[in-house]
Amino acid sequence: MPIERITLERFTAFESLDFEPSPGLNVLIGANGTGKTHLMKIAYAACDVSKTGSKFAGKLVRVFLPSGGRIGRLVNRRVGRSKCNVSVRRDCLELGVSFSSVTKVPDGAAVVGAGNWCASPVECVYIPVKEMLANAPGFRSLYERLDLHFEEIYADILDRAFKPVSRGPVPAKEKRLLAELRKHIGGRVTSKGEEFFLCNARGNLEFALLAEGMRKLGLLWLLIRNGTLIDGSVLFWDEPEASLNPKLHGVAVDIMLKLQRAGVQIFIATHDYGILKEIDLRAKPQDRIVYHSLYRGPKNGDIRCRATDMYLQIHPNPIDEALDSMYDREVARSTGGYGA
Amino acid sequence: MTVMIKGNLRIEFPDGFDVKKFDDPSGHGLSCMKAVDFIVCLPDRNEAYFIEFKDPQHPRAQDSATETFIDEFDRGGQDTDPKYKYRDSFLYEWAADNGIIGTRLYYYVLVAHDGLDKSLLDRRSNALKRQLPVRAVSERRWKRSIVEDCMVFNIKTWNERFPQFPVRRLPA
Repeated sequence: MPIERITLERFTAFESLDFEPSPGLNVLIGANGTGKTHLMKIAYAACDVSKTGSKFAGKLVRVFLPSGGRIGRLVNRRVGRSKCNVSVRRDCLELGVSFSSVTKVPDGAAVVGAGNWCASPVECVYIPVKEMLANAPGFRSLYERLDLHFEEIYADILDRAFKPVSRGPVPAKEKRLLAELRKHIGGRVTSKGEEFFLCNARGNLEFALLAEGMRKLGLLWLLIRNGTLIDGSVLFWDEPEASLNPKLHGVAVDIMLKLQRAGVQIFIATHDYGILKEIDLRAKPQDRIVYHSLYRGPKNGDIRCRATDMYLQIHPNPIDEALDSMYDREVARSTGGYGA
Repeated sequence: MTVMIKGNLRIEFPDGFDVKKFDDPSGHGLSCMKAVDFIVCLPDRNEAYFIEFKDPQHPRAQDSATETFIDEFDRGGQDTDPKYKYRDSFLYEWAADNGIIGTRLYYYVLVAHDGLDKSLLDRRSNALKRQLPVRAVSERRWKRSIVEDCMVFNIKTWNERFPQFPVRRLPA
């Protein structure tokens, strides 16, 4: 059951936003500070609580980490008192939360629709920019015992990665994806205690000794292998390009497109031309890809979103703008005396 | 004004430019050597431009041929031909000893397809710079460079950079 709509009023950087994702692949682009990660975190928090049954407001606090855990600090900043509303919808279900800028604790927020929402759980995973598997030893137990100032997405991704593998044969689609990933990472991923290893004919290689880009592909392998990324699940991947050599962009995009075809709803936030172009080049007509361009309005700087299913129609496109500017400067440098 | 036409593309130069259509029997005439389409001399600036036109979007081009060209272009499969055209033209002009070699030489390749974005043009420009090569003087034992610089354009970026010699497509 994919997310169908996210409505925000005065939440963090957003004044008012109505966001309608595709059930397939959603590509969020925009300059820094246009709310891409915030949008994904909201949707992730909503999906996660459907599975864990924990309180939505509390989850928002744990993934956003407002100072002192004061949920009211997530209300869009302005002079005087203000109130925010967040609503996430899927399959006729709605999970909503509202609170004011003076609300101190998550329990002070008003949550609606949690009962029905949690009666219909959805599997989800959030892959943060920073790779965490190499830092797994000790982190989870420390996170549970101490009040570490880490967004909960970091602990959550480790929980997903440590999820045991289901019994029985691996379905054919997943098997193909796993084989493809294995070709690139050069083995399979195993864990011993709280440590991850890449296992191949030469033995076990600690994840900390593995290139960070490879660890990311290894994480995907684990999430597919242990059934986290299956039909009906939702994947949030913040900057998939981070630490990934451009030659592997195509591999990552290929896996995303195949997961999407297998029924996984995907949200990615990217700043990278290579990722965008690979999606455009590898997409098939039946793929459900929507590019969401987040940008600030010219007058009051409020965040807006413009969606299109055509790569060339992305507007505004800060990635292209930056590259265009580089080409223009290269033209100016590489041409003779004549020229504009 | 001097007007030059190649296939379905038209380029015009203001008066005072010494323009020659190079890739035809009157300009070149040697089938054993490749040739760029035009050579433009600007003696007062001590510069010359070697210009090559590619027209994958020619109205009579088949869609499949256009797609193949663009696909190859994207992967770098079209980098080699412009490289040899420049080098052969350079050699021809060196042997002709007409004063062009010795001026600052620039090489411009126009690929007339409106689907080419600036990022792709930038990548192909860099590939051409590597292959000619541009800016290799300090790395090797050359005392002179064979080309000052080069760049790949589409019609839009060409006209943005060179409004003095605009290119346009002729009616089909």
